[in-house]
Amino acid sequence: MKTLIGQELYKLAHRKGTWVGLGVVVLFQIAWALVVAKAAELMSVPDSMIGNYGGNSLLIFVMIASTAGIISSEFQYGTIKQLLYRQYYRSQVFVSKVCALLIQALVLKAVAIVVGFGMTLVTPALNAKVDLMGTYEKQPFMNAYWLAQAGNLLTMLLILSFVLLVSTILKTNAAAIAAGFIGYLVAYVASVTLLAAIAQWHWVKWNPLTFMLTETQILSPSYAKATLLSTPQMLTGSVVYTLLFGVLAYLSFRRRSV
Amino acid sequence: MKEEVGTTAILTVQDLNKSFGGHQVLHGVDFALGEGHVVGLVGPNGAGKSTIMKAVLGLIPTDGGTITIGDKPVSITSHQALKDVGALIEYPGIYPFLTGRQHLELYAARHHRAQNITSIVEALGMTKYINVSAKSYSLGMKQKLGIAQALVDHPKLVILDEPMNGLDPQAVKDLRDIIRKRAADGTSFLISSHILSELEKVADDVLVLNHGHIVQESSMAALADAGGAVYRIATADDEAAVAALAVADVTVSRTPAGLILRETGPDVLNTALAALVGRSIQIRSIEHVHRDLETSFLDMVAGDGKEASHK
Ligand SMILES: Nc1ncnc2c1ncn2[C@@H]1O[C@H](COP(=O)(O)OP(=O)(O)OP(=O)(O)O)[C@@H](O)[C@H]1O
Ligand SMILES: [Mg+2]
Repeated sequence: MKTLIGQELYKLAHRKGTWVGLGVVVLFQIAWALVVAKAAELMSVPDSMIGNYGGNSLLIFVMIASTAGIISSEFQYGTIKQLLYRQYYRSQVFVSKVCALLIQALVLKAVAIVVGFGMTLVTPALNAKVDLMGTYEKQPFMNAYWLAQAGNLLTMLLILSFVLLVSTILKTNAAAIAAGFIGYLVAYVASVTLLAAIAQWHWVKWNPLTFMLTETQILSPSYAKATLLSTPQMLTGSVVYTLLFGVLAYLSFRRRSV
Repeated sequence: MKEEVGTTAILTVQDLNKSFGGHQVLHGVDFALGEGHVVGLVGPNGAGKSTIMKAVLGLIPTDGGTITIGDKPVSITSHQALKDVGALIEYPGIYPFLTGRQHLELYAARHHRAQNITSIVEALGMTKYINVSAKSYSLGMKQKLGIAQALVDHPKLVILDEPMNGLDPQAVKDLRDIIRKRAADGTSFLISSHILSELEKVADDVLVLNHGHIVQESSMAALADAGGAVYRIATADDEAAVAALAVADVTVSRTPAGLILRETGPDVLNTALAALVGRSIQIRSIEHVHRDLETSFLDMVAGDGKEASHK
């Protein structure tokens, strides 16, 4: 298993996209932080800091692209037979790819956190506006910060598991990327519509898009009034959907002729 | 296979069936591959060669039949037996972001890795471009890389699907030398090819596949003779001879070197000779000529159209 994960990481590390993605996240964070520092009236500095100056959203997009390609690219390059004829179980190959993605996501997340903190600490204008020891939404700021990172990770895993499913079924990364981006945008842009629908028909709350809002609800528990789900329900639901999509992706991969 | 009595079979395929949708592609395929043997798999386009190879590699689900490599069963869900197997199926897959050497490093076993890579790269004459991005490789260069990937770990069983595709004559010879050398060391090969003259130079035995049935399983030489013997008859007057034979209902083809007679039945030769002697046509010589492989093969798979895929 270690060998397989190593091979997947080797491939990821040699893809230009991996490093471009990382670079884009970092540059975006720096740019955002500098803008916020100059124009604090535009965006609240604590809000920006909690989202790692845009890094949290952007790294989801980077991970969507990476996830969409990790299986479908093997089909596109014609390397899938090479990958699968060896002595390993398909489940091992599948899990090794998932592990490589998780490692990539955690590395990106760690970088985003380091850059987020770094920008806050080295930029006096930001430093002055965020009190790391203060409060945010009626809780200690650092508490809120880490909750937000955990929530962001959960949301990301939910959307990535869906992207993986689409990419294994359709064998093309374009469709999977589109599905991921649309899912992500719908969850946020159309969340007002979604919540309205939930208020109208209660059962709608069980659809996977609702659980994309877990990140928001963790930070603002009052959101429960709109989602009609308690925070523990939201957490469980998003984990269950993530696992469900993951298992379905595996089942579609398991017996596929190559 | 008769030739394999006394040697251990490294690969055994028994009663293998496979359908795609409603279309049955393999019909009860049976064969065995002995240690150190090189077996050629030939058959028209769509006969099912690649499908057999994919089944042997556990890449596709099958509809009945057993595949064993070194006593261990192989299926889409059991792959342990494939530990010592190297393969190139259909066309080589290339990661556009890796160099040739990185492709080899990626999956090669850690043991003696650098040494194994250097030796296969040299044997296939890839040294000059092995450190260049594989994206820029020509067809033949990619093919060589795929072959190198199959061979780098010195697997006990090697499965190559049309390995000569796109290779220049030097590379074909290099490959042939590698196969011969490895086979002498005990490696077994299953090789499909449409270039029968090339296959003839490396394969000990041949499996002829048509419409998903194994129609012949023999040595290469036996395949050449499979369609019956062929005689070349030189006479003093070929024109008269052809006329005499036509009367006797014997068909021959006339070539500058003499009349070519195919032994399509048991007394064809006798009938022909009697007809010639009866007309007092002088026979100068009769020669038993070795048939060429291609003709035998074409005869064997002839019958219902050129394409095997549609019945
Ligand atoms: N994935 C698939 N789905 C449906 N039919 C398939 C599939 N793969 C192969 N076939 C069919 O199976 C038959 C055998 O195909 P296969 O690729 O094994 O032929 P082949 O002997 O390797 O031919 P070639 O000499 O052209 O490489 C063909 O009729 C082909 O159409
Ligand atoms: Mg083929």
